[in-house]
Amino acid sequence: MQQDTRADPSPAGADHDLGLGQEPGTGEPGITEELLVEEVSIDGMCGVY
Amino acid sequence: MTAPFEPGRGYRLNPDVALRPEPFGALAYHFGTRRLSFLKAPDLVELVRGLGSHRSVSDALAAVPDGRRDVYLRALAALAASDMIVPQPDRSEMP
Repeated sequence: MQQDTRADPSPAGADHDLGLGQEPGTGEPGITEELLVEEVSIDGMCGVY
Repeated sequence: MTAPFEPGRGYRLNPDVALRPEPFGALAYHFGTRRLSFLKAPDLVELVRGLGSHRSVSDALAAVPDGRRDVYLRALAALAASDMIVPQPDRSEMP
């Protein structure tokens, strides 16, 4: 007589659920920061000013 | 050396800095350090011009939409680091 001794009750296809429960964007690099200020030095630009 | 940026304090445009309006916002030129900064948003230019009329940077930022406040705060911190904006004199020291 054979008994079903499988302990894993997960339904078929559960292996495809990887990633569920993770927060979106976790571990991802941050969104490119919007830069409203850019600096430039004009030292060395002889004759410009 | 530039003092650390303190949003709880009042700041103003450095008197040594000239702002020239541009289609993208404004060009700031510091006559002391000979540095240029591109302010790439008209709203930021307006904020910088009006900074001196507020008791603190935080007060000035109250008019900025919530989602944009951090971006503008970082922009002001960058401008403070380059001496484009400077702390206002302590009101208690004013006559």
